[in-house]
Amino acid sequence: MAIQEKLATGRGKYTPGYPNLDTGPVDYEDSISEEFFQAEREAIFKRTWLKVGRMEQLPRNGTFFTREFVGLGSIVITRHTDGEVYALHNICAHRGNKVVWQEHPTNETQGSARQFACKYHGWRYGLDGKCTYVTKRNEFFESLPDDELAMPQLRCEVFAGFIFVNFSQDAPPLRQFLGEKLATELESWPFEKFTNHWSFRTKVKGNWKIGIDALLEWYHPAYVHGRFLNTNVAEAEKLVPPMDSYHYDLFTPHMLTSVPGPPLLKKKEGSVGPAKRDMNWAYRLFRAGLFGPDDVREDLGHLTPNRNPGNVQSWSNDQYWLFPNLSVQLWGRGYYITYQYIPETVGTHAYEVDIYFPEPKTASERLAQELVVDSTIEFAMQDTNTVEATWSQLNNRALQTFHLSDMELMIRQFHKVVRDAVAAHQAGSEK
Amino acid sequence: MTTTVDTSLPERFRALEPWVADWDLATRVERYEKRLTKTIDELQDFYDAIAPLAEEAIAYLDTRDVNALSGEDTRLLRLLYSMIMVSYPVNIFKQPRIPDSGAAFFDTAVEPAL
Ligand code: FES
Ligand SMILES: [Fe+2]
Repeated sequence: MAIQEKLATGRGKYTPGYPNLDTGPVDYEDSISEEFFQAEREAIFKRTWLKVGRMEQLPRNGTFFTREFVGLGSIVITRHTDGEVYALHNICAHRGNKVVWQEHPTNETQGSARQFACKYHGWRYGLDGKCTYVTKRNEFFESLPDDELAMPQLRCEVFAGFIFVNFSQDAPPLRQFLGEKLATELESWPFEKFTNHWSFRTKVKGNWKIGIDALLEWYHPAYVHGRFLNTNVAEAEKLVPPMDSYHYDLFTPHMLTSVPGPPLLKKKEGSVGPAKRDMNWAYRLFRAGLFGPDDVREDLGHLTPNRNPGNVQSWSNDQYWLFPNLSVQLWGRGYYITYQYIPETVGTHAYEVDIYFPEPKTASERLAQELVVDSTIEFAMQDTNTVEATWSQLNNRALQTFHLSDMELMIRQFHKVVRDAVAAHQAGSEK
Repeated sequence: MTTTVDTSLPERFRALEPWVADWDLATRVERYEKRLTKTIDELQDFYDAIAPLAEEAIAYLDTRDVNALSGEDTRLLRLLYSMIMVSYPVNIFKQPRIPDSGAAFFDTAVEPAL
């Protein structure tokens, strides 16, 4: 019996188990309407915790990096001399110049500094954003306050080494927003041991939610990625695990899906044999494939009791979806990936893929990482191209409603959570 | 004329010397760009040249301290990275670019020094 058949549990459909999710067609106006996009920015992106980076990007006191968020603004994240992490609006209290940038004002930058000096008239700021020096101060007037001048702070909290900011002063604290279950399950992963880091960025012509949709279901792999599995689509279909072999947990507004994967290669004994133009031969040579390195490091402690909460057979990874735009994927073979989708306009988003391994101890361990990274990016390129193809057509409104299968329940949930958040915000602000 | 140390590989892998000029590349971006400048026949030629030596090269590199590789050893490691970079085109796509990827491209913002 093929492993895929063995994985089937016959448990039946998932969606009906979530009574708040109906099973009818879904309107995609939320992904194409300019008006909805503006409402979504107000209701969600300006008042929800957003990941902006990791603590490894602030290795010492006095280090900083900037993030450029189209439509939300430029932010400076700093680690002050007291070790505190601050997020600051990147704006000068004098006449509004962008304070921190190098050469090209729209490019992100990083470095270390004792303080920031505005390039326009030389006002200076501490790493907590407080203005420490006004050049030619005696030329100003009594209205110039003594101690309120600052690059304004945003709320900033760190969880499991991830740095989050919130543009709103009213939002609940980060941990409360994440919820105890998600926080505990994620926190048990030793993120700090995974410092061999690759970061990939691209701009995608499509609404950010259409981008996320492409990673929320296991319906498409045989078709979009078919050639990786088998050039014959009918054969490729058989290689994708059946729907009921996945674990889904929709704890609104966040979600988890756990995914089965192929078994590890047997321990290496002897030679892999003569060279072949065959990817399976290459996988055996480099001891890795799309699901990660096969020689799993025992020293990382990553297989904690919190992994694989749904008891998935032949488990491969836990994919946590942190509302609104971040996925943290913990892989059993000893690495993790984050995917983040940052809206820029209704029809464009920035897409960031970050892959983290432990520091390799040997060349072969490093080569296995390289193969996993290459595989991940080859797949991701097919996905982004499909997203652009989808959005270009959705945008025409030739069809307005679409049919989602049980395999697509996370998409149903995701769009509903977004629509509900917008509706709740609008109801609140109309009062 | 002497070949400078800068273009050589460890003794046992000198047969790969002709591939150093094209494929001894420090970053993934450079490797991907190189892949796109080549025909599938050229990618296959490189793959067919390095694949029979790859297992031995990995075993050899594993006898070294990965954090203190010599110039020669680093070059060999980079040729293996390049082999990985061409392996999907050669073994699956039968063309340099992944099918249906169109204009899709990822910028590399961060990658390990080695
Ligand atoms: S705008 Fe910054 S010092 Fe004038
Ligand atoms: Fe995909």
